[in-house]
Amino acid sequence: MVDVSQHELVPEHTLIDEDEVESMLTQYDVKRADLPKIKRKDPALPDDAAVGDVVKIVRDSRTTDKAVSYRLVIE
Amino acid sequence: MQTPKEIGAIQFGLMDPETYRDMSATKIITADTYDDDGYPIDMGLMDPRLGVIDPGLECRTCGSHSGSCNGHFGHIELAAPVIHVGFTKLIRRLLRSTCRECGRLSLTAEEQDEFRDGLQRNEELGEDWTDVLKSAVRQARKADRCPHCGAPQHDIKHEKPTTYYEVQDVLAGDYSERIAEAMQPDDEGDGGVSPAELAEDSGLDVSRVNDILSGEFRPVGEDRKKIEKSLDVDLTEEDMNKLMPSDIRDWFEDIPDEDIETLGVDPSRSRPEWMILTVLPVPPVTARPSITLDNGQRSEDDLTHKLVDIIRINQRFMENREAGAPQLIIEDLWELLQYHVTTFVDNEISGTPPARHRSGRPLKTLSQRLKGKEGRFRGSLSGKRVNFSARTVISPDPTLSLNEVGVPERVAREMTQTMNVSERNLEQAKQYVRNGPEGHPGANYVKRPDGRRLKVTEKNCEELAEKVDAGWEVNRHLIDGDIVIFNRQPSLHRMSIMAHEVVVMPYKTFRLNTVVCPPYNADFDGDEMNMHALQTEESRAEARVLMRVQEQLLSPRFGENIIGAIQDHISGTYLLTNGNPQFSETQALDLLRATSIDTLPEPVGEDETGEPYWTGRQLFSELLPDDLNLEFTSSAGDEVLIEDGRLVSGTIDEDAVGAFGGEVVDTLAKVHSKTRARVFVNEVASLAMRAIMHFGFSIGIDDESIPDEATAQVDEAIGNAYDRVNELIEIYDAGELESLPGRTVDETLEMKIMQQLGKARDSAGEIAEDHFSDDNPAVVMARSGARGSMLNLTQMAGCVGQQAVRGERINRGYEGRTLSHYQKDDLSADAHGFVENSYRSGLNPREFFFHAMGGREGLVDTAVRTSKSGYLQRRLINALSELEAQYDGTVRDTSGTVVQFEFGEDGTSPVKVSSSEENPIDVENVADRILDAEFESEEEKELFLGRQERPTNISEYAGPGLDKAQSLEVESDD
Repeated sequence: MVDVSQHELVPEHTLIDEDEVESMLTQYDVKRADLPKIKRKDPALPDDAAVGDVVKIVRDSRTTDKAVSYRLVIE
Repeated sequence: MQTPKEIGAIQFGLMDPETYRDMSATKIITADTYDDDGYPIDMGLMDPRLGVIDPGLECRTCGSHSGSCNGHFGHIELAAPVIHVGFTKLIRRLLRSTCRECGRLSLTAEEQDEFRDGLQRNEELGEDWTDVLKSAVRQARKADRCPHCGAPQHDIKHEKPTTYYEVQDVLAGDYSERIAEAMQPDDEGDGGVSPAELAEDSGLDVSRVNDILSGEFRPVGEDRKKIEKSLDVDLTEEDMNKLMPSDIRDWFEDIPDEDIETLGVDPSRSRPEWMILTVLPVPPVTARPSITLDNGQRSEDDLTHKLVDIIRINQRFMENREAGAPQLIIEDLWELLQYHVTTFVDNEISGTPPARHRSGRPLKTLSQRLKGKEGRFRGSLSGKRVNFSARTVISPDPTLSLNEVGVPERVAREMTQTMNVSERNLEQAKQYVRNGPEGHPGANYVKRPDGRRLKVTEKNCEELAEKVDAGWEVNRHLIDGDIVIFNRQPSLHRMSIMAHEVVVMPYKTFRLNTVVCPPYNADFDGDEMNMHALQTEESRAEARVLMRVQEQLLSPRFGENIIGAIQDHISGTYLLTNGNPQFSETQALDLLRATSIDTLPEPVGEDETGEPYWTGRQLFSELLPDDLNLEFTSSAGDEVLIEDGRLVSGTIDEDAVGAFGGEVVDTLAKVHSKTRARVFVNEVASLAMRAIMHFGFSIGIDDESIPDEATAQVDEAIGNAYDRVNELIEIYDAGELESLPGRTVDETLEMKIMQQLGKARDSAGEIAEDHFSDDNPAVVMARSGARGSMLNLTQMAGCVGQQAVRGERINRGYEGRTLSHYQKDDLSADAHGFVENSYRSGLNPREFFFHAMGGREGLVDTAVRTSKSGYLQRRLINALSELEAQYDGTVRDTSGTVVQFEFGEDGTSPVKVSSSEENPIDVENVADRILDAEFESEEEKELFLGRQERPTNISEYAGPGLDKAQSLEVESDD
């Protein structure tokens, strides 16, 4: 089976720890549920992602080189 | 004046029948409306307690007069419960998922908890919870028996719109025949089954089997299943048991509160049995006013007609039931009552014939008032008609600034601005009132400090003018310099609605500068536009600062200017700067007449006669700011060099000053100021018009003719192409054509022929182009980018070329040929739509026909494309409309969900970004400019490093403007 997460077009998804989540949430002044969502079964996610975790996604961007976004893992 | 009310919250839910009765002003019992004297009948449909519509009368419930009384609901006690059509789906769902005996939800406690958790989770995440509900119902429906009381459950069949059946399998009436038939021996060598064998096989007593066969014993339950299994027959038939609304109501009453919560119904506000109506609210008369016709006859609203029907049937139902009528008649009347209540709510239910007026027109009942384009939501709330708006035909006026709009005096007299009178503007205010409603600038209304509004008339204006004092309000006419909003539909982007300053003009059309045509996508072939006069000081200020045309020079779509020179302006600047012609003093002054330049620069030199002369580039440079430095390639193909505000070399054309990304305009708008760019565009347009008039610019059919030798060359080129096509066909016929990878031989041939013919047209175009002089007007337009292309020229002078339908040569018509003029399977160029003539030489009939085929495809395509893309854009806009860039740089929707963590990933506005390819954000250039800035003294530097406000130019009629303000007396009253 092909591991999709290794494909060059799939941006890097990394789980971030609770401290980082908290600081990000305060930075943007949002609740966890207001983050964009991602399904737990999404093949781009790391295998140990659990529902309620937050992933940090670093995408290549035409304008800023790297663009960071966050998603909440849901069922 | 009524005080505006703030809505704290809106709650959606079902209404308790008791609440209907409580809020009802009266019970309605008679279907009659008015008595013989024309007075409304008590407890009739027009009962005065339901509100007043006739002026002068008093409401019997609240005591207020028509206009201030909103009306009051009444109610009808229905003789029997009926289903509310709006809830048929929910009723079905509830019937299917709850127990017919105990009313509990057919889910185990664990399942129920699971679904309730799912609901809560989805609500927390702000996602749709209908999926959870649906799966809960699906799960509950599976249960054969109620997990709580063990009662067997039946399937529910829903016959649209409002009938429900319980479907259960019962023993068929002819069960003994069916068994006997199955036991008979048949043709395929099946020996048949004897009763003894059957008894043994199914495990029943032989006597019991015999009883069954004789029809004396009904095999139900286990017995039936055993026989069915051993004989492989079906002994059941479906029995449909109709559920009357009263049955459903009883059923729903048993559903406990905690169970409906799992089904997505909030038990604190809604009970499922309320979906079955026992009381019908009667809308107040204000919602269904009757109109008195010219002949004195009263015409009632559709809703009233429908209510009359309901009351009549309701009464008949009660009478029949009391008289003890047979069940059949009662059921018929019940169904009729259901029909009337159904159509009262919605008259467009599929499967139900719509209730009709006597004339045959379907009645417009409750749902029809809300639904659709003309309904309450889209028609009356989102799409309200507004005051202070005007619409008329537009026409061009190059003497206006692009910020202005010419408003006909008739419009200006109708549309007003509120003027708060104070000591300072008292005299002006008085003058406006004195001028009256007919004079311009006059006034239409005044408002006294006590709040009384008085109409200014020709008769009372003198008198009124004397009374006007500080504290009054005067609704004065539009005058020059007022700000208005101008719009052309379809409003596809934000530049479709911009603010303009008024210039009052004679005649009847709105006048606008031609350079604002691109953002509005307007032309003057009969286009109409709308104007809105702003009514509050706040809106006027916002419009001036944010919406004025000059603030919209840059399009957020592609980040470059969308306003700039168009068409003749571009031809004009091209003629002025291409080849750098020389002008005498008179000519030079004439060219710059319409601009703000009033002194000529030093002449470049003297001609043979000793007269000084100026060059076109020099005159154009006069419009540029002194610190402009640019270098780019023009669309004519030469290198444009601008140094310190002087055009050193190159041609000024579309790429320099055009709308849609003209370099000079773009740079001015971004680097200098919007005001400077506006002044530049205005002046370029004026200069270009002068220039094109100086040179003269016209086009005729002879401008597209080429010499005979050129025609001969074109013919030769086409002849050569024909030869090559014929060669290809010969090779193909001989079966020797080699196919290209991935294509069949036929496709290869088509491709190669198309290629050859395309080349033929191109070479014909080149030949034609070689014979056009550089001053040919069509060439000037094509080169400068003003209008038209070289391809257009090729088609006019050289050869029109291959006509195509669906990207292929024309292949339709008869079997194997396009027209009856050709041999079957003729593959030659002219048989498949190659037009070798030019538009000027004229097409022959066959060519003309092929050309029409290709032309029609183009027309159909554009028609289809506009409607498709319009709908696509509408959906996109609706999907994105609530997204908003927040102050922290994120993009969120109205519920606060983050959509982008940084607007556009880079947090930059497309209109604030440099257009140059290498440095999207031109930091170096900005830094350079700051370093280069001269500081004559330390104070000046301090001033610079501190905060130096650029002079804001709010109006062309006020403040430190760059053109008009200096020359015109400022006349402003607010």
